Amino acid sequence: MTTRVLMEGISKRFDAVHALTGVNLTLHPGEVHTIAGENGSGKSTLLKILAGVLKPDAGSIAIDGTAVEFPDIRAAINHGVTMVSQELSLVPHLGVAENVFLGHNQTRNAFGIDWKDTDRRSLEILKRLNLSVNPRAEVSSLPQHEQQLVEIARALASQTKVLLLDEPTSSLAPAEVEALFNVVRQLRDDGVSIVMISHRMSEMLAISDRFTVLRDSKFIDTSTRNGVDENWLIDRMVLNKPKAATKRVKSDEPQRVVMEVKSLSDFAGSFENISFNIHEGEIVGLAGLAGAGRTELVETIVGAYSRRSGEVFINGKKIGHNTRSTMNSGIALVPDDRRLKSTIHEMSVRDNLLLAVHGRPAKNRSRKKEEKIVNSWVDKFSIKVKNLDSPISALSGGNQQKVVIARCLVSKPKVLILDEATRGIDLGAKAEIYEILRALAREGLAILVVSSEITEIFEISDRVLVMHAGELTADLDRSTIKESDVVSAATGVLV
Amino acid sequence: MKRVMKLPTVSSLPAWFGILVLEIMLLIAMAILQPVFFSGSNLSNIVRSSAVPIILGIGMTFTILTAGIDLSVGSVLAFTGIVLSGLITHMPRAAAVIATIALVTLIVGGINGFLIGKLGLNSFVITLGSLGIFRGISYLVTNGTTRSIDTGPLINTLGDGNVGPIPGPFLVVIFVSIISIYALKSTYFGRDVFAVGGNEFAAKLAGIFTSRVKMTVYFISAFLAALAGVMQVGRLQAASPTIGAGLELTVVAGVLLGGTRLSGGVGSITGTVIGLLFLQTVSNSLTIQGVSSYWQQVVTGVLLGAAVLFDRIRIVYSGRSKRGEESNVTKE
Repeated sequence: MTTRVLMEGISKRFDAVHALTGVNLTLHPGEVHTIAGENGSGKSTLLKILAGVLKPDAGSIAIDGTAVEFPDIRAAINHGVTMVSQELSLVPHLGVAENVFLGHNQTRNAFGIDWKDTDRRSLEILKRLNLSVNPRAEVSSLPQHEQQLVEIARALASQTKVLLLDEPTSSLAPAEVEALFNVVRQLRDDGVSIVMISHRMSEMLAISDRFTVLRDSKFIDTSTRNGVDENWLIDRMVLNKPKAATKRVKSDEPQRVVMEVKSLSDFAGSFENISFNIHEGEIVGLAGLAGAGRTELVETIVGAYSRRSGEVFINGKKIGHNTRSTMNSGIALVPDDRRLKSTIHEMSVRDNLLLAVHGRPAKNRSRKKEEKIVNSWVDKFSIKVKNLDSPISALSGGNQQKVVIARCLVSKPKVLILDEATRGIDLGAKAEIYEILRALAREGLAILVVSSEITEIFEISDRVLVMHAGELTADLDRSTIKESDVVSAATGVLV
Repeated sequence: MKRVMKLPTVSSLPAWFGILVLEIMLLIAMAILQPVFFSGSNLSNIVRSSAVPIILGIGMTFTILTAGIDLSVGSVLAFTGIVLSGLITHMPRAAAVIATIALVTLIVGGINGFLIGKLGLNSFVITLGSLGIFRGISYLVTNGTTRSIDTGPLINTLGDGNVGPIPGPFLVVIFVSIISIYALKSTYFGRDVFAVGGNEFAAKLAGIFTSRVKMTVYFISAFLAALAGVMQVGRLQAASPTIGAGLELTVVAGVLLGGTRLSGGVGSITGTVIGLLFLQTVSNSLTIQGVSSYWQQVVTGVLLGAAVLFDRIRIVYSGRSKRGEESNVTKE
């Protein structure tokens, strides 16, 4: 087989962090090549280097046997390499055809751009992608998956030989994924080399002809489809495979109720009349679809928003209305959006971890005592941080989240609420967080886990609550629960 | 990978470092051009004339750190003088000073703090309103005239006189700076100020009383504006409704020159002191060189633009690697 792209010894680092160390990648014409690896393994960096977004510190790139250098994206496109990134880069208020030929060689007539010819040529390309839209339609009026195809059409308009797809399926529904894969297969049969990054194991296995695995910024292995299965990939992607989930032994004696929520409603009407309770040492999952009111519910419980009606009790005592008093009563929340709601980006790791430690405003903070608290949590959660005084934004997502969880635990809560706590965190860190939660539950902490991932809910809950459209639609015990019960309760189908 | 030279990276230096270098270069240049610049009287003149803007700037730093702003400080400066001129005829001077500062702090801090901190209204709009209100009241009360005040030794020392060989206003600046640096770096309140400016909702979820923090910074700003007002009276031996018109913008410029970010959460008192000292040195140097005072405004504007530009370059330069890390290591 001939080689279309040969990347050899590619290295790249950002300050002290090695993003890639001596990575090789070979692409043949007419293949779908998946780059697999955990978050932070260097996949995106490799793609960005091939697309001319980043410049490598070392290594060479050859296309069809000739050495090339890409000082910018334009140079890569001229050599037939185009990237379709996660965040689509279309101009929303321009037409489809205009977007397809944005920055390309549009034909001109005496009056400027020849729109008829542009329309005709974009229709040809769109047809290859099985996309039937009006080329004059505004791009923003198309659904997400069609916009993605328009972006691929733009790549085809520049005669692309190598198409890089960075998590193309992350926001697509199953049927749309299938449609996209049909297009990808057809392009492959036309001789285009396609490189893909995906986090969904089943998709990788369904579409790829070849795999390259990266781990810790290094090249690990490459193989054709034959002989590759889920285990083959996981073995190579994860160094320390997450330990098999140790199921918690639930003691038989009835546990004390720690938190009781009684007919709670909020002013915005995001949820109505919610009642439930959580016992000591229990992990309760709160499932539901996006927009079911789960985030609003937990943020109201901790006092970020005012209640319209209802009460919250901790150990039988009514608790207050603002975030400080609920915290003092023993409720802590790990919010769902780390960037928007958890971290103070410019603030040091140390101060972020200690953010929920309060004292009289004018009180001098004791550095020694703080140092001890911070170090103990950094050890306990094995948070990877070089300098505690560097801003928290320098840490990886998983480590930032551990800092936020530690922040919640410093105040020794009785109830810990986690809202989508493992979103955007790689597998290893996810497993570590589950292990931390189980250990905390064993010590008697009551835990409420809000999650949209059913597998996560099943992985760690003793009991599952389900919300649909602002109402609690199910309260299911772990021992009898079926996945289908959760799904039907979450989608509003009667159980 | 090998590193040829180990220089401190641009991102590891404090934001005010560039201004400090410029200040030193300016001092050296002036020493060569105009020997009179380094005369004792001129240096103490720079110190004296920068004291009031620096005190206002320290208050401004607190409000900007919470992602707010206090545009009323120039008007409050004048308003304080008028209040003092009224009270000083009825009671001993020391009592009049204390009463004036307390009264102005309560009124101005109360209004700005309540509306911005408690009700969550926009700081720019609210303090633009108080700017007009207190300037207007000052004109109304005095009918636009200047009142001369027999200040006595206390007020005079605060604003103009010497304590031994050291200018009184210099001591006030040192004292206020040290307390403010301590408050921001070593107390829970200081931590909360940075947290509110950095990410208000996150601060709230972490149990910080965000509205109380915001209210407090407007009280601090009002208090320091009142203190500066008394110092100004000490310097001029008079109270005038026109004092400090437009000064708030010079103060904001100095604070931003010192590396405090208008979007909140990043900044320092040290930067503010250096930034305003620099602006004052520039204006003094231009005056000594015989450059028209109209040019001084142009120079200030250019400096501010340049400072913001350099800060942007600094962020991009240090952020390029950070952004790379984010998209590769901490991809969300």
